[in-house]
Amino acid sequence: MTANEEPFSHLEPGQLVAETSQPVSRAALRRRAVFGLWGLRVFVILVSLMVIYTFIDQLH
Amino acid sequence: VSIDPSPVAAPEAEPPQLTGEDTARLRDRSRVHQARRHHRRWQLLWLLAGPGILAMLGENDGPSMIAYASDGAQYGLGFFVPLIPALFALAFVTQEMCMRVGAVTHRGFGALVLQRYGRVWGWFGAADLVLTNLVTLVAEFVAIRVGLAYFHLGSVVAVALGLALVAFTLSGGRYWRWERVVLGLALFNGLFLVAAILVKPHVGAVVSSFGFRPLPGGSLNTLLLLLASTVGATVTPWMIFFQQSASADKGMTARDIRHGRSDTALGAVLAAVFGIGALIAGAALLAHHGSGIQGFAGGGFPEALRRVAGRGAGAVFALGLVEAGAVAILTICASTAYAAGECAGLSRSFNASPRHATVFYAANLGAALLAASVILIPGAPLLSIVLNANVLATVLLPVSLVFVVMLASDRQLMGPWANTRTANAIGITVVALVGLCGATYGIDSFLQTTHLIGL
Repeated sequence: MTANEEPFSHLEPGQLVAETSQPVSRAALRRRAVFGLWGLRVFVILVSLMVIYTFIDQLH
Repeated sequence: VSIDPSPVAAPEAEPPQLTGEDTARLRDRSRVHQARRHHRRWQLLWLLAGPGILAMLGENDGPSMIAYASDGAQYGLGFFVPLIPALFALAFVTQEMCMRVGAVTHRGFGALVLQRYGRVWGWFGAADLVLTNLVTLVAEFVAIRVGLAYFHLGSVVAVALGLALVAFTLSGGRYWRWERVVLGLALFNGLFLVAAILVKPHVGAVVSSFGFRPLPGGSLNTLLLLLASTVGATVTPWMIFFQQSASADKGMTARDIRHGRSDTALGAVLAAVFGIGALIAGAALLAHHGSGIQGFAGGGFPEALRRVAGRGAGAVFALGLVEAGAVAILTICASTAYAAGECAGLSRSFNASPRHATVFYAANLGAALLAASVILIPGAPLLSIVLNANVLATVLLPVSLVFVVMLASDRQLMGPWANTRTANAIGITVVALVGLCGATYGIDSFLQTTHLIGL
């Protein structure tokens, strides 16, 4: 590091804790994406319930 | 939000207030800056390597290595030798996106999903992670116990070793120290390659196994089940949380993406080679009909290997299991801690002191303690937990994968580093493949359990 070089110049602004603690804005999702995410949620919950049922059954 | 890649301030601007975490990260970034400035290519690679190798070798965990060895013992080399590199190529696609998002946004996966797509999805992802992590952590302690059992050491030693490692790696108060200690341990994953050499495989058979061939005697149903469990052993929700958060914690920036790719690719290659090593070691038992080492019931796997290939091979395989379990405990606990800090909106960095990041350190140690306590419960259904760990991880994986692709292709967030159309197409294909495998596995297990289809 040279004498005239500020040490903090090696960090980008977005890397500072003060900056990363600020939330990013909410994404604007299209209707199709919202439906897709709901479908994913239903799919995952259904299949997870099946796996949990299988797991509990194996315990007996 | 838009990400500004320019340096922090013009010389005339007011210097920003730096926290202890910023100062620690700044020290690491200064070294990267110096290496880049003086064109020290190898030093730059050394400084920027870490999250990718750790994510990949962390996933070569105890249950995965036993699964590879069991596959070799039951089916031989033909089907799995080409499959393992193919799956790690798939893992590279998703992990590269995680690294890129972490480097560009400087934020972890949990925080971004929570802020960008709402609290429901943020907490859903975190709950999914915590559930699969706790189950997998139990499996890692079991792997250490299996390895130590070869040396006549019991559960208490396994628990003490795992917890001591977590406490030791947390004691430094620096991301750099934590990463280097875990990297040093992770390289011992190469013990599986040593085990493969010690069983003296037929070189011609190994080389010819790269010619893809169907699973011997396997039905489509068996093949799908096998694929699902193997995918679950290659890409998991914790890897996604870990690599994005660790890349941000390390202080990587958009300028480091090329090196981040090399790090991830190197991790994928090493993990595939060591995974094939476990498979080859296991295949030594093929002629002995697997010697009763089905799945994780292979508590006697190192012992079975000793009978067939000698004491050295058994001991090296046992030590490999201890290493695989230990490294996975450290990386999985870290991913749990990152997610806890990000969802709670609190400090989440190895560069922060325990006083400033209490939730982060408590979650790290707490996850290990909780999993360790399960394996000390007499009569706990460890086998069932371990067998279901990969199933659960595979079933819940599409949620994390969908958000990885969405974040990496978010132009507002990623700017010029957003996914190209080709990268999106590959990402969506990976999500569809994993979703299909997970659903097939989950539904098939359910139907068999309820006797709606024959066992």
